[in-house]
Amino acid sequence: MAKASTTFDPGLEHIGMVYSKALLGATEKSGQSEQVVQELEEIVSEVFDKRPELVPALASLRLAHEERTTMLDRAFGGRVSPTTLNFLKVLSGHGRLGTLRSVAKGARKLLDAKRNRIEVEVRTAAPISNPLRDQITARLAAMLGKEVVLVAKVDPELLGGVVVKVGDTLYDGSVASRLVSMRSQAIDRTTARFRDSLNKFVTT
Amino acid sequence: MKINADEIASVIQMEIEKYGAQLDVREVGTVLEVGDGIARVYGLANVMNGEMVEFDGGIQGYAFNLDENSVSIVVLGDYLQIQEGAECRALGKLLSVPVGEAVLGRLVDPMGNPLDGKGPILTSERRPVEFMAPGIAGRQPVREPLQTGLKAVDAMTPIGRGQRELIIGDRKTGKTTIAIDTILNQKATGVKCFYVAIGQKESSVASTIKVFEDHGAMAYTTVILAGASSPASQQVIAAMSGTSMAEYFTYKGEHALIVYDDLSKQASAYRQLSLLVRRPPGREAYPGDVFYNHSRLLERSAKLSKELGGGSLTSLPIIETLEGEVSAYIPTNVISITDGQIYVQPDLFFKGIRPAMNVGISVSRVGGSAQIKAMKDKTVAGGLRLALASFRELEAFAQLGTDLDAATQSKLDRGYRMVELLKQPQFQPLEVIDQVMIIFAGNQGFLDEVPVTQVNAWEKAFLQYMRDVKGSVRALLAEKREMSPDVQEGLRGAINEFKKGWKPAAKA
Repeated sequence: MAKASTTFDPGLEHIGMVYSKALLGATEKSGQSEQVVQELEEIVSEVFDKRPELVPALASLRLAHEERTTMLDRAFGGRVSPTTLNFLKVLSGHGRLGTLRSVAKGARKLLDAKRNRIEVEVRTAAPISNPLRDQITARLAAMLGKEVVLVAKVDPELLGGVVVKVGDTLYDGSVASRLVSMRSQAIDRTTARFRDSLNKFVTT
Repeated sequence: MKINADEIASVIQMEIEKYGAQLDVREVGTVLEVGDGIARVYGLANVMNGEMVEFDGGIQGYAFNLDENSVSIVVLGDYLQIQEGAECRALGKLLSVPVGEAVLGRLVDPMGNPLDGKGPILTSERRPVEFMAPGIAGRQPVREPLQTGLKAVDAMTPIGRGQRELIIGDRKTGKTTIAIDTILNQKATGVKCFYVAIGQKESSVASTIKVFEDHGAMAYTTVILAGASSPASQQVIAAMSGTSMAEYFTYKGEHALIVYDDLSKQASAYRQLSLLVRRPPGREAYPGDVFYNHSRLLERSAKLSKELGGGSLTSLPIIETLEGEVSAYIPTNVISITDGQIYVQPDLFFKGIRPAMNVGISVSRVGGSAQIKAMKDKTVAGGLRLALASFRELEAFAQLGTDLDAATQSKLDRGYRMVELLKQPQFQPLEVIDQVMIIFAGNQGFLDEVPVTQVNAWEKAFLQYMRDVKGSVRALLAEKREMSPDVQEGLRGAINEFKKGWKPAAKA
């Protein structure tokens, strides 16, 4: 079963990385990075996610750049910091407003790397309590030597245990995968013994 | 026979009780897209080129292209079962195949899974499919002969153990037959044989296997099959995995022979994979590394040094040409890699000269030193190639219808008989001693009075006679393996005696 997000575009990801690098380069000097990145994420989660029909309108190249600029001014002016608004206008100027989602994601990733933070996905079969969450965060932070941002997900198919994903490395301590490996190990070893001493299992 | 279920149950129970849970740490990626046997995966940041990966459902593949944002995986199983978004994990190991005595006599796919319904392959040993060829210190010159059992090949383009001899020619000219005859002739030599069928009709592979079985050759032969309907990935690795199975014996100090039938199809499959992962096409749309693909494969055929056990791996790659075009990309590549080629031509084939080897342009660059002394002798096959080449020139000249002097005419007559003598029906390899005797008889003019149409009958009767009546002469030659005066004398006497009793059969 497909568990991960299936809308994955390496090209878009790449563009997002380029813009976010430039964005952070500009904001790091003024120390606004945290604020700007958070605002971008909020625009994505509050506007793009909730009113998806707005995205094509904002990203549309049919509208002149000036029209889009006034639209951005009216929509976000005063609600977000001037730096964020300027950045949105730059994106719009390049016709890249549609990539805002990957820009926000890339900026978060870059900022985390700069601040020695790392996002860790923790999947469990049942929701984890807050004390347990803190405990896991502390343990992971000690292990990785970095500040850990925990993203908890619930996946009943795991049956029990916990699966931790750091970057591309997966630490799988789930009951489901243990059952699978127990099954294959038992079958493998039994067939091996079957081969070694066939006569033990067969009575003529 | 009854299977004891309780015993099995108790073993399984024991295994479950012994099961120690370990934290499963793995490197994962997400499938972006999959099609045509290639999966593009996002993630797998630390995967290495050629590393094995596993998809959900146990389908395996290996990393073929490491791009900036994704990894292209060649899927070795049924790629239709892989879904977009599925997890893909790096296994941290290389592709390997089961090897050992257990693979002999079997028909397997390129992963080493049996296809013949004779049960699992019981061996615990495996070898990596991609293996570095021995270095220069690990080799020694080719010096032992690998007898093909074909008079034309053994006399004029002899093959040594550890040599790479290309068999090249158009379709339907008997390329595979030369390879099959060679395998059949290894029955008493202890050479382990591997026949790799790449991109072939499964019906023709089935008939090849039938030939092996009928002649008792399957006992020492493994057939590795990636048929025309197999995915391109399997066709590409078939050649390498067959080589790995053969190398097991080579590095044990034994001798092995491998036939790649054929490498043009392997190159096509490799081109397909390369184009699908968007590697730039080069000449004839083959990727830039198609030469390296073949050279590193064929470099693994070698005669190992004494320190490494002195084993050998001889290879007979087959290349199919179109309309005799040897200057196409893949044929020129493989010609330059191998230590010689046997060039078969359709016009000779249809003239009834079988094997349809063109003597003039077939060569063996190293096999001469591996020929037995008797065969190399100038009364036998020494100079035979040149003599035949000059005969061909004369023959073309004689067609002008000019009057010929007696010396030229006799040269022509000798030539016609030698050509006739070098013909050989398929699946009837001859012992090298028999070859020496018959070529000696032809070369020394003993057949000059025999009508050309009767040469084959004469040959058959003569070899029978030498076996049944003149066993001592034959045994002397077999023991000395050179044309010493006493051997020559014995042979001349025997031939003269045989000729007295021989009458040409009545014309049908």
